[in-house]
Amino acid sequence: MGIRSSFAVMVGKATAKLLHIMGKGATSLPGVVTLKLCPNVLATLARDIKVICVTGTNGKTTTCHAIADIISANGYTCLTNSAGANMINGVVSCFMNASSLTGKVKRDYAVLECDEASLRHITKSMGSLDVTVVVTNVFRDQLDRYGEVLTTLDLIKQGLAHIPNARLVLNADCSLTSSLVESTKHGDVLFFGVNGGFESTSSSDISDAVYCIRCKTKYKYHSHTFGHLGDFYCESCGYHRQKPSVAVDEVTSFNADSADVLMSIDDKQYEAKITLPGAYNIYNGLAAAAIGRVIGLDDKKIIASMSSLTTPFGRMEHVALGEKGVEMILVKNPAGFNEVISFLTKHCTGEDDILFGLNDNSADGTDVSWIWDVEFEKLGERLREVTTDSQTFFFTGKRGEDLQVRLKYAGFDTGKFKLEKDYRALIQRLMGTGRHTYMVLSYTVMLGLRDKLAEVAPLKKYAR
Amino acid sequence: MDCIKICHLYHDILNLYGDTGNVVTMKKRLEWRGFEVSVTDLSFGEFDRNDKFDIIFIGGGQDFEQGILTEDLFKYKAGWLTEQIENDTTVLAICGGYQMLGNYYITDKGEDIKFLGALDLYTKASSPRMIGNIVYSTELNGKMNVAAFENHSGKTYLGKGISPLGRVVKGFGNNGEDGTEGARYKNVFATYGHGPLLPKNPVLCDSILLSALKKHGVLELSELDDRIETGALKNALTLYG
Repeated sequence: MGIRSSFAVMVGKATAKLLHIMGKGATSLPGVVTLKLCPNVLATLARDIKVICVTGTNGKTTTCHAIADIISANGYTCLTNSAGANMINGVVSCFMNASSLTGKVKRDYAVLECDEASLRHITKSMGSLDVTVVVTNVFRDQLDRYGEVLTTLDLIKQGLAHIPNARLVLNADCSLTSSLVESTKHGDVLFFGVNGGFESTSSSDISDAVYCIRCKTKYKYHSHTFGHLGDFYCESCGYHRQKPSVAVDEVTSFNADSADVLMSIDDKQYEAKITLPGAYNIYNGLAAAAIGRVIGLDDKKIIASMSSLTTPFGRMEHVALGEKGVEMILVKNPAGFNEVISFLTKHCTGEDDILFGLNDNSADGTDVSWIWDVEFEKLGERLREVTTDSQTFFFTGKRGEDLQVRLKYAGFDTGKFKLEKDYRALIQRLMGTGRHTYMVLSYTVMLGLRDKLAEVAPLKKYAR
Repeated sequence: MDCIKICHLYHDILNLYGDTGNVVTMKKRLEWRGFEVSVTDLSFGEFDRNDKFDIIFIGGGQDFEQGILTEDLFKYKAGWLTEQIENDTTVLAICGGYQMLGNYYITDKGEDIKFLGALDLYTKASSPRMIGNIVYSTELNGKMNVAAFENHSGKTYLGKGISPLGRVVKGFGNNGEDGTEGARYKNVFATYGHGPLLPKNPVLCDSILLSALKKHGVLELSELDDRIETGALKNALTLYG
């Protein structure tokens, strides 16, 4: 290790130590300091580690969590960055926290959640490392920040350009993501996907990628899961979905906290239980299974690992608040929110309350118009059938009022609306209902609410 | 009561930033007052020119998709749309849809892209993008402040015969220079306001609806309980006005 990087690591470590002593989280500042002193410090810190970067619009955190589960369950060690610290400073900080004073990091793997726009900064000094990049999907997300879905895709391409030898693990069902196959030199690409689509999903919501990325003709689909994901093909130029080597062939049952599936790895079929809730998490489980194959696990171990996956904080996380508890669900964009709505339409009864929270800080997206791309109508219709007198829809956050309008126009009973912007007062009210609550929250509402929840209920830690 | 017919033009391409919420809002606010409403999604290709619409809605889209769109516009829709506008059909156009009604668009490379030419205005590419909450005042059935969200790289300049829809209170508006926002011509209401525009600006929504209802002999609309909508407007004005 050079003098420059040694010095940078020592200062970074000292910063992390100091922050711990002061009782502050060290998720970003050590990285800032270290990078200032040595911009390509990652090349040194990660030189003996295999790096797995996870990027894409939805499912980054859950996928990282699932990959870390699989790695640990099979006797390996890994470091991960905590949710929210997915830019270059956060990534360097997580290495800082795990490294010795001399910059040694004793782990087998680094599982790094990478913000799409930050991937290019993170991979910049990784050209000489062993890197695998997982791209979960590309959907509309915080458009005020990224502009358009093609801009997001381009940012990911820029990130891949720094690491031409990297292995890619791509979602076969996303026409945008699978077009990235042209960005790797060796063609070392592993696809994961869902064969045959999901039952009872409409194809009306294929709105983020309607036209062929190569020739602008409208895509056709043999089958469809949700959003624009499915077995797509273009009649005009022939661009089509690649056959996935890690796939779900059939979902035998969707349960509240898991899914029973028939899964295939390189054409060999197995029965498996993916212990993550919601249809959208099938993809996150598959991405983790694909990594299982990349790190050399045999099929049996991969299938066994699927049944012990856990959800990270804020992703259908149970908190023991009040008599019946709450489930906390993070929502960031229309595609993710729609999947949450599908879940609630199936599982929310008249005995459950729902809290909707929306902020418009930059981490939430400053433009709140995306809530109108979420199909609340389905849930509104279902709840009108099953509702009870005491059912309440709570609203909070800087733009809670906008959500109230959205739900009014989606057919929710406004007589059941309660707006409460003070988090402590809100928590007191929820504790007093004697009912179970689903909390559907944008990012900074969740962070703010967690702080106050922690005063009255036990919570998961931010980082693992 | 008569059926009010809404056309959602290029619904599957110009559907960015929740703009579809405007159609939902117009439909609901008419239905709550007892009108029957039909919404027709009109995308690429041929269509029945005899269909008469009371309201045509055009939203914003991605640049990638707008190229495909102008081709279809000039092949199938240009003459028809201009005629609708001249015949006083109510048109609400947002962002990309707004720019498309103008004469042309000058790209960052200096090329002219021909647009519909129904409204005397043009748009010029610029950088950086104009992004953020916008508040503008407008006078339609009385003065009001409108809260919305803008996100555009094009700067729009109005010709002599076109008046702005409003004056910028906070934000950029048409070009960030002359204080104008949007455009008014006959029964055309054009604006950069996403948000979407209509849900939390119910008075503006009703003014636009009234411009279309006149043909049906309806001159005023019954009051609705707008406490939720007004609450959201007030909140946005407090935060960003």
